[in-house]
Amino acid sequence: MTGIELFLGEHLNPEKLNALLLLGVVLFGGTWVGRLFQLWKIPQVVGYIGLGLALGNTGLGWIDLTTMSHLQPFSTFALGLIGFMIGGELKIKTIKKYGKQFTTILLMESLGAFVVVSILITLASWFFFKNWSFAISLGLLMGSISSATAPAATTDVLWENKTKGPLTTIILGIVAMDDAVALLLFAVSTSVVGILMGNGGDVSLSSSLLDLVWEVGIAVVMGAGMGFILYRVIRSFSDEDKILAFSIGAILLLIGLAIFLGVDIILAAMSMGFFITNFAPRRSKETFHLVERFTPPVFILFFVMVGAKLDIKGLTSVTVILAVIYLLGRIGGKSIGAITGSVLSRAPRSVRRYLPFSLLSQAGVAIGLSIVAGQVFLGPLGDTIVMVVTATTFVVQLAGPPLVKFAITRAGEVGLNITEEDLIRQSRASDIADKDIPTIKENADIKSILKIFAERDNLYYPVVNEEGVLKGILPIEKLKDTFIASDIAEFLLALDIMDQAEFICRPDTEASEVRDIFKNRGLSSIPVVDENGIVYGMIEYRRMQQLITRRLLELKSKATALEKV
Amino acid sequence: MELNEILRPNYCRVLKSHTKTEALIELVDLLDKEGTVTDIEELKREIFYREQIMSTGIGQGIGIPHVRFAGISEPVILVGVKPAGFEDYESLDGEPVKMIFMILVGGEQHKEYLRILSLLVHRLKDEAFRTSLTSVENSESVYAVLTGESH
Repeated sequence: MTGIELFLGEHLNPEKLNALLLLGVVLFGGTWVGRLFQLWKIPQVVGYIGLGLALGNTGLGWIDLTTMSHLQPFSTFALGLIGFMIGGELKIKTIKKYGKQFTTILLMESLGAFVVVSILITLASWFFFKNWSFAISLGLLMGSISSATAPAATTDVLWENKTKGPLTTIILGIVAMDDAVALLLFAVSTSVVGILMGNGGDVSLSSSLLDLVWEVGIAVVMGAGMGFILYRVIRSFSDEDKILAFSIGAILLLIGLAIFLGVDIILAAMSMGFFITNFAPRRSKETFHLVERFTPPVFILFFVMVGAKLDIKGLTSVTVILAVIYLLGRIGGKSIGAITGSVLSRAPRSVRRYLPFSLLSQAGVAIGLSIVAGQVFLGPLGDTIVMVVTATTFVVQLAGPPLVKFAITRAGEVGLNITEEDLIRQSRASDIADKDIPTIKENADIKSILKIFAERDNLYYPVVNEEGVLKGILPIEKLKDTFIASDIAEFLLALDIMDQAEFICRPDTEASEVRDIFKNRGLSSIPVVDENGIVYGMIEYRRMQQLITRRLLELKSKATALEKV
Repeated sequence: MELNEILRPNYCRVLKSHTKTEALIELVDLLDKEGTVTDIEELKREIFYREQIMSTGIGQGIGIPHVRFAGISEPVILVGVKPAGFEDYESLDGEPVKMIFMILVGGEQHKEYLRILSLLVHRLKDEAFRTSLTSVENSESVYAVLTGESH
């Protein structure tokens, strides 16, 4: 080995990357890859998980187990934030409206997956292992795990695409709640399996159920309590920085307590989000908005870690076959359940048609349960479960988000959950300009100018020369002033009474920039011109506001209309 | 606002020029020595641009070139009289222009500008006044007639 190789080996060993450098690589690279995927019209979360795969166990191995355990708190934090944000979307009004649909579809899709996967895996493993009790055990455990749907990757796609409508509401409700069903099914299954496999000492049904009541009950109570405290405090703060710091503090405190007490983190955070969104709707809107702006780096890190954790190197042909059966059974079971549930509860058509595509995602809870199964049932049973769940998670985490995107796009819910801020951020001057505004020639006399003002309700018109090049703006006040000199009005031209345009913009100027100019300069109108100075249109602040309000109302009524079909 | 407050003796002239263009330049150049406007050339361009779009000869021997110009702080009226008149002024009634009132105001002085125009046109409606103005022999009398000091 040469000196240089030695030097490089010592100083540039990727396995020795310090935590901050690794964080930098993950966030920098993750954002970049996510953006790239967005350009390819693939949900960004697939990019994050893909980067994780490349850097983690399956790929380069830069993110090893030690690093992952160091970064674990960030992932837990992300789960807490996701729970909090989902809780914030669950308004009591919505739940009341969708209550029946929620419960019916939730039960049908989770039980559908449970039943179908249990039967298929039982039959398949009997075929491989010729042992009924082993086959039934594997079937029950895999079946219960299959009923869980991961909220993180799914909701990330919903938030990325600003969706709104019945499908979005049902997806949010279901991905948030079916973990509870999965936990219940898993608790029952482990007890049955304990009896079947003969090591049921510490997994009796009653103790499992008691654990479940503890996990869910305490989480909900704790979350609501923390929500109450947060609500009391933000009521007395108006400073955004403080509200953000306090909210994040409250979430961290809650997550920490949840870990300490061994209860479900997502559920606790969700209950906190649920509490404040329903009991302090107005103040909490701002809080959720602030927390949302804080989430991107945490989420990127979380998804990269999800990818890095997956290790599919130890797969055998039997596990591959079981994984395929599990995957197909889960998709089939969830789809049949979702469709049956939607039909029974008379859910809108978009839910019936597209919900099955949105329930594929599986991650944290499924992996967590598989690890629990692996620890409780040592040997081939536990190992098989861990391998199958890991391998299928790999597949559904990459295939799930694009399918969710497909579903919400086909259901027509993309872009309907847009705020004024989003709308401005997405628009350019050309979108908000009044393009068919008549121009006033600089040599136009007062009489013809009056005619233009009389025919339209604009208050500002562009004044142009013979070539259509902008020369100035004619506001209605300047026209009014000509009454001072009514006896010479016939000698006055547009050029004499117009104002100079203080600011102009191009059709591709960002709308947010235009809005800032309006606000900071106290202007009322800005002409839009092309590169040759030819008038393209005119933006009036008053009309821009009207346009935005109208557009938001249109989107809202579109979302409402989706509920009726 | 009174016209007399704005008129200045040194801004009132019997013009030596023979054409409209020369006359307008002669009037603007009165400003030069006073230093009221920094960019005289730009001002001239603006004046001629306005004339090119439409002549300011409003008939009855009167021309009122006017412009709002960013470099001006106080309204200015430059008065030029030419008893023989300018044939090339392209007046509305086709008559030669004998009196030129050049009105210059600041970019923001829109109302002042219209008021001055209005006051001026109002005073010029008086035929006797127009006759006495076009009969002057020297620049001092121009100012005197305008402010009424000759009566």
